[in-house]
Amino acid sequence: PLPLTSVEQAASTYFGALRLNLKMKILIVLAALAGFIAITSASGCDKLQRLKVKSQWSRAYSSGHDREDFSQAIWRAIFAQVPDARALFKKVGGDDTTSADFVAHSLRVLAGFDITISLLDQPDALQAELTHLKKQHDERHIPDNYFEAFRLALGHVLPAQLGRCWDKKAWSDCFEVIAHGIQGH
Amino acid sequence: MLRLVVLLVVAAYCAADEGHSHCCSAEDRNIVQKQWSVLWQDTESSKVKAGFARLILLKLVEAKPDTKALFANVDIDHPQGGTFTAHCLRIVNAIDMAINLLDNQEALDSALDHLADQHHARSGIKKEHFKAFGEILSGALPRLLDDYNIFSWRSCFKGLYAKITSKLDA
Repeated sequence: PLPLTSVEQAASTYFGALRLNLKMKILIVLAALAGFIAITSASGCDKLQRLKVKSQWSRAYSSGHDREDFSQAIWRAIFAQVPDARALFKKVGGDDTTSADFVAHSLRVLAGFDITISLLDQPDALQAELTHLKKQHDERHIPDNYFEAFRLALGHVLPAQLGRCWDKKAWSDCFEVIAHGIQGH
Repeated sequence: MLRLVVLLVVAAYCAADEGHSHCCSAEDRNIVQKQWSVLWQDTESSKVKAGFARLILLKLVEAKPDTKALFANVDIDHPQGGTFTAHCLRIVNAIDMAINLLDNQEALDSALDHLADQHHARSGIKKEHFKAFGEILSGALPRLLDDYNIFSWRSCFKGLYAKITSKLDA
């Protein structure tokens, strides 16, 4: 092999140092994570589950036409379970989930849900949003089993959207936090 | 030939309407959606989004002091607090919904109609407030988004503001 020039020598020392640095950084992050898990893994919907749900949701929620399809799938799954729920959505085109009014409405609902999920790691703001949503839902007298239908619909559509990178336990734990906040019980 | 005529008519219509500003063509919508999506790529994006909206609303209140009272029930006195943060996200998500519906004109109209109702229901909101909001937003977005096509954004947002404010009295 040709002898290294001084520049190449400097470069190789530099990158060697970088590699070492990276290994150390990974170790530090792992140690910190281990500590974090030990602190937070006690209750349902803990901090790590919240982060996981947040990132899985942002992938599933997607954008544009994909989001419209995602939303359609969720609402069809809800109405398939509780057909009577359509009556609640009469004013917003609930008879036809593909109608413009219902597409707009279903995306509004998902936008609200998106806020609660993105706030899972900001307790004060999460509480404020849940209170706001509770007020909007109170006057509509929504039976508990409709919330359950929403949960089950998510439980089918999310894994269909995300494949195997979906954590059922994290979702059911964290969904409970959100649904209880909106229902008030 | 017919296609050419249609194209020319459309082009003439757009040119007549304040220099292309009203078109929001398919490509404009594409550009806006793509550039906006950058905001949502990180798991911590909610903090960025809330922070961004907070900045814009506070600037709005600075520019139009009479708007401050309109945000009293969302606790604008404590802009870092949970109540105001949640409200900031509501506004960002409404914008996000509109942008994501740009390709579905009918559903977009329905969504904007609903937003128009919600703003009509709050007395004191004026068209000039939206004008100021729009100016602040379009000044701030290019500082947040590396890619920002001012013409596409302007042409698409003009229509959005027109519809949201359509039910306001003043």
